[in-house]
Parts: sequence; structure tokens; C-alpha cells
Amino acid sequence: MIKDKISSQEVIDLVSSKAQVSKRVSEDFLKVMISTIEESLLSGDVVKIKNFGTFKLQWNEPRKSVNVHSGEDILLAGYYKVTFTPDVILKDLVNEPFAHLTPVELDSENPEPEQEKTNVALDPLRIFNDQASEIKDLLSEIQSLSPKEEVAVDTPIFVPAPVEPIHDETDYADYLLQKELVKKPIEQEPKEALPEEKEVAEQILRKEIVEVVAPVEGTDYQNEEVSSVSSFDAIEDVKPLPAEDVVSGSNSIEPTIATGNSVEEFDSSEFLKEIHPRRVRRFWIKALIVFLFLLVTFSGFYLFYPPVRNFTASTALALKSSILKTSEKVSMTEMFNTVSNWFTPKQKLTPIPVRKVVIIPKDTTANDSATGKVAVDSLQLMFDKTRVYKTFIATETVKPNGRLTIMAKRYYGSKDFWVYIYEANKDRIPDPDRISEGTLIRIPKLDHRLIDPANPRCIKKAKELHDLYVKKED
Amino acid sequence: MNHKELIASMAAKLNAPKSVVADLLDTTVTTCTELLVENKTIGFQSFGNFEIRKKEERLSVHPSTQVRTLIPPKLVVNFKQSNILKEKLKDLPHHD
Repeated sequence: MIKDKISSQEVIDLVSSKAQVSKRVSEDFLKVMISTIEESLLSGDVVKIKNFGTFKLQWNEPRKSVNVHSGEDILLAGYYKVTFTPDVILKDLVNEPFAHLTPVELDSENPEPEQEKTNVALDPLRIFNDQASEIKDLLSEIQSLSPKEEVAVDTPIFVPAPVEPIHDETDYADYLLQKELVKKPIEQEPKEALPEEKEVAEQILRKEIVEVVAPVEGTDYQNEEVSSVSSFDAIEDVKPLPAEDVVSGSNSIEPTIATGNSVEEFDSSEFLKEIHPRRVRRFWIKALIVFLFLLVTFSGFYLFYPPVRNFTASTALALKSSILKTSEKVSMTEMFNTVSNWFTPKQKLTPIPVRKVVIIPKDTTANDSATGKVAVDSLQLMFDKTRVYKTFIATETVKPNGRLTIMAKRYYGSKDFWVYIYEANKDRIPDPDRISEGTLIRIPKLDHRLIDPANPRCIKKAKELHDLYVKKED
Repeated sequence: MNHKELIASMAAKLNAPKSVVADLLDTTVTTCTELLVENKTIGFQSFGNFEIRKKEERLSVHPSTQVRTLIPPKLVVNFKQSNILKEKLKDLPHHD
């Protein structure tokens, strides 16, 4: 430091050599310069020198301090201080070695956005869980309340009844649409309760309904009863209930529903017998409407569900259609009697061979809009069904870096359907993201409508399953 | 007092034309600048020292946005008044 210090004498020498003046002149000049600056500063002025900087006086306030040795408070007097602010040119010249450096903003990026991401990802799962528990609560509530409510419902049931007398086809269709919202999940569940027998159960359900009008009325009436009972709770449930379609993949809820359903049916039959004749008429109208709707529904189902069609095609149909015609002419009171008579056998969902062969070609009654709707529903039904993999198209040995998605692409046409392969091989695949080399994978045979790559609903369903499985691993 | 006033004042004291004084002042300034750029300390007796100080790099956090910024190191000119000047300034009454 010391050797780097230039004294005023050296500056004088340098200036004299540069300006080519005598040292005396430059010395005088420097002294005058400094004295002038001093004077100016002492008079409280600011001195500004071009390309160099600004001299300024700064007043430092008196401040209190403590004597380190005695611990006494002392007052430091205020004083003036000459400050020098370099000109921009001087500043830049001096800072040249570091001029290339610029302030860098450090991104404090990562931790927070990542958290947000995971939150977002968890949200659907959380909502899903909430809905599932909500539905469980509601169902258990309905189940526990149902015996009392059958009676309690008695009067309120007629409040919405005025809607029924409408015979206009379109209004009536609207009405049915509303009803269907409530009814559909309840209809579906019993079938799912018995995955192995579901085919049989479905057929029986259908058969019974179509067999003779009177029994059909009975079943419809029950449905109506169930829906109207639940509708008091379910008016708010209308939103939560569709979520049940998603839930139904797990069988845990179904048994409770199935039992609850049968309890209600039983109650309703007893209840029916005590009903006042005037009310019976309304019930009957309501029942008729629901019956017609079911007719449309099942005819649609029939049209779009090949096994049923094949089954019916092989059976005698003419007799049944005649029964249908005659039964439609039956008077209301007769109808009611038959309804109540038919209730008892209906309660059991056991297959009765005698009643087979019932489905009539109702294609004529099916109207187009209804069938379209029903077709969608049958797809939904298929989604909700518990998938059982029994037949397999092929078996594959996992190659190094093999992935389920690749197999899905090969066999089903879209890699989104890998979930079904995973479902069929759950016992062998601990982690769907990393299937170990050499594992034997069975490729299940799937209904072609379930794995239609052109159908966005199939893709959507597969994605839902994907989320379910992948999240579960996390 | 700006540059021109300083020159005028000095010219009056030196009995020299302003242009000469201006040239000399210019030369002095460039000389000082060069010396400072060479990282040398210039000491004018009875006035003070000019020296270069290095400000180390530091991390600054914007108080409201919490954006952290790394400020690079830099060299600055610092002037420290001499004790002689300081004594003279002590006589100056404080007036605001």
C-alpha cells in the first residue's frame, strides 16, 4: 500500500511533464486548486470538477456513545466531513476490471412450484375419496331410515305426483330423464353385487319386467318407490350419485346397497296393500310411466347388447307379445291386484328357469333419441362392471425395458388401455411403472367396445384408471 | 461551485488566463484518473487521500419481492479527508 501511495509532489511532477509546464507552475496550480476547493467547501458550497467528481460537505450528527473503560455516557460532537462522489466517467474507468459483471437474479424457483404441483395432482384423488365416503354415509342413512320412511313418505309422495298425468311424449321423456338420474345407480348396483352371476341376474331382471305387464308394473312400481324414497335425500344427491359410477369399481359398497334395496322392496309391497284407492290411481299412472320408460330403456339395451339379442333370437317371441297386448288392456284395479300379487316372487333375485324366454321384440317401441341415450348408458354400465379376466388372447414375456403401454398399443390399438393389462396381471406386477424383465404377462380378451380407441369415453375411462393405479403407487 | 466557477476563481488567484488553468486542471484530472485506475492511492497533503476500494460481491434481497440478487464485486473511488482539513472543518459552525 505504501509504495502505491502517490504524494502530491509526484502528482505535480507528472502534471508538469504532461502539460509541459515547469514544476513550479504546476505546484502553484495544485496548491491553488486545493485551497480553492477548501475555501469553497468551508463556505458550505459544493465543488464539482468535470470528469472527476463532486466534493461535498456532510454533517454528521452528534451521537451518544459509551466510554469503553469507565462505562460513562459520552456525547460525540457533530462534525463536518468532506465526501467525494466520483463522476460516472471516473467510476467506470476505475471499475473497468469488473465491468463485465452484472447482477444476477437468483431464482428461488423450485420448492414452491413443486409443492403446488403435487397438491394439484392430489386434488382429484381427495375429491374422489370425499365423495366416496359421502355416498357411503348417505347409503347407510337410507338403509337405516327406509322402514320408517316408507310410511313417512306416504303423504309427500303425492306432492311431486301432479307431474305424472302428463301424457305428452316429450314432457314425459324429460320427466323420465330426471327420474333416471336417481334410479340408474340403484338399478345397476345389484348386478354388480354378483359379478359372476351378473349376466344371469341382468337377464332375469329384464325378463321379469317384460314377461307380463302386470309383474312389470310391479317392478316398476318398486323402482319408483325406491327412487321416490331416495329422491328426498337424493335431490341433493343427484350430483354425488353419478360419482358412484366411478366408485362402483370397488365392490365394498355394493352388498349394502343390494340388501338395502331388497328391504325397501319388501316394505313397499306391504305398504301398497294399505294404500287408499284414490292414491292407487296415481301410483298406477306413475308406474305406467316408469314402465314405459323401462320398456324403452331395455329395448335400447337389447338393441345394443348382442348377447341379449342372440339369446332372444333363439327363443319364441310371438306368445309373449300377445301377452303384452292383452295385459295392456287390463283395467287399473286388476292391474293393481296383479301388481301386489307379483311382488312376492319378485323380491328374490334368484334365477327361476320357468320364467325364461320373455324378452319380446320391443324394437318397435324404441324411439331413436332414447336408444341413443341408452347406448351411452350401456357403455357406462360396462365401465362400472367389475372386470373379470378369464380369457386371454396371448401371453407375453417382458423384454428388457418392456412396458405395459407398448403391449397395450400392440394388442388394443392404444397405449391408454394398458390399465386393463395391469388389472389382469395385478398379482404379478407390483409396480406398473417398472415391470421386471422376464415376467409373464397375460393379455386379456376385452370387449371391443371397452377398448375403442376412437371413443373418447373409453380413453377417458382408461385415463381414470391410470390415475387410480399410478397415484396409488405414489 | 461548478467546473467553470472553479476555473474562474483559480485563474483570478493565479493571475493566469482561464484557458491555461482549464488545461492544467484537465491534465491534473486525467493524471489522477490514470493513477487511480492503476490502483494507486493519491495523497494530497492537508486535503486528503483518494484511494480505490474493492467492494466484495454480496447477496441482496429485494425487501418486497424477495428476489435475491447477486451483486458482483466492484471497485470504487474513496476519498478520506486529512486531519488538517478535518480540524479546519471543526471550526465551521453547524447551520442547517
